[in-house]
Amino acid sequence: MSVYAVNYLCREVLRDHAFRAAMKADPARAIASYDLTAEEREALLAGDVAKLYRLGVNAFLMGYLPRFEVCGLTLPIYNERIRSAAEHKQGA
Amino acid sequence: MAQIVGALGVPHTPFFPALVEREGPQCETARFFASVTRELEAMRPDLIVIYDTDHLNTFFFDNLPVFAMGVTDAFKGPNDEPRAVPVYTIKSRPDVAGHLRRACVEAGFDLAVTQDFTVDHSVVVPLHFMTPHMRIPVIPIFVSGHVPPLPSAQRCYALGVAVARAIETWTEPLRVVVVGSGSFSLEVFGPRIAPGKSDGVPDPDWAKRVCTLIERGATPTLIAEASEAQLLRAGNVGGELLDWIAMLGAVGERRPKFVTPQMEQGHAYAAWSWS
Repeated sequence: MSVYAVNYLCREVLRDHAFRAAMKADPARAIASYDLTAEEREALLAGDVAKLYRLGVNAFLMGYLPRFEVCGLTLPIYNERIRSAAEHKQGA
Repeated sequence: MAQIVGALGVPHTPFFPALVEREGPQCETARFFASVTRELEAMRPDLIVIYDTDHLNTFFFDNLPVFAMGVTDAFKGPNDEPRAVPVYTIKSRPDVAGHLRRACVEAGFDLAVTQDFTVDHSVVVPLHFMTPHMRIPVIPIFVSGHVPPLPSAQRCYALGVAVARAIETWTEPLRVVVVGSGSFSLEVFGPRIAPGKSDGVPDPDWAKRVCTLIERGATPTLIAEASEAQLLRAGNVGGELLDWIAMLGAVGERRPKFVTPQMEQGHAYAAWSWS
């Protein structure tokens, strides 16, 4: 369940200010120790939130990425990308 | 004996404090919150019980209860940095909360307990407007309204009834106000947000329908129509209506003093009082 790890690290962007700064400075390095699939890692670093959403990552938690402008995301970029995501039902 | 003297339904939009700070006390949101605050003050509450859906800030996927009660002397929040909101310490009543939880478990509601927790904007934003001095103790009851599978509307209402009965078996003569916090139709950071925004209202017709049913006191119809499919169609926080439905467990089919819709946000402000 590495989607859990993506959700977790999104929340760490809110909670851990040192991690937030590391994600702004060098995201690849900041997430190096997280147990992610290659697909998740690539999507995260590319700011591909539509793909992460389809993989099951929670939307509120992904919202911390543009809010704190990490992984190349700003609100306009995030907005355009997430709206392109196909309808996809989430659950736990 | 303790008695419930009224109920309020409120939104908790995280950018409202910054909006009101910028636009002043005459803006719509400030006026709408002032209208429920006047009602709350007139009820002279000794205790507030608030139904809330946490946004994965109090709880997380490591442990996500469907229903939980906060049982503690005090808790802090917000823990998610909404702008223009200080971090408050909010008093609570662990003796009353413990009693409510025991009564609910005995009535067949398996409420989880948390004794060490912080809360997010969904508890603090309404309190920031309504009780900024934080002198009234607050007991939070958490309802899992964001992450499917959602508890049924019928179950949430029945929980609200059980909590209301439990409040009225507490021997101290407390005046208690019950609050439901949340939206009727809203998508936050999901695919159905509006262009250029961080949120959107996917099902405005449903939000209007909810207001109409609340206005009429048509709680059984509201419960019947608030299926999981409908709540999810209304947005990824559409399940926050369950907090209002749990609050209605204390209200029954009484009609509100007012329901003030704020439809561009997919939510409303409402007040009931009796005693």
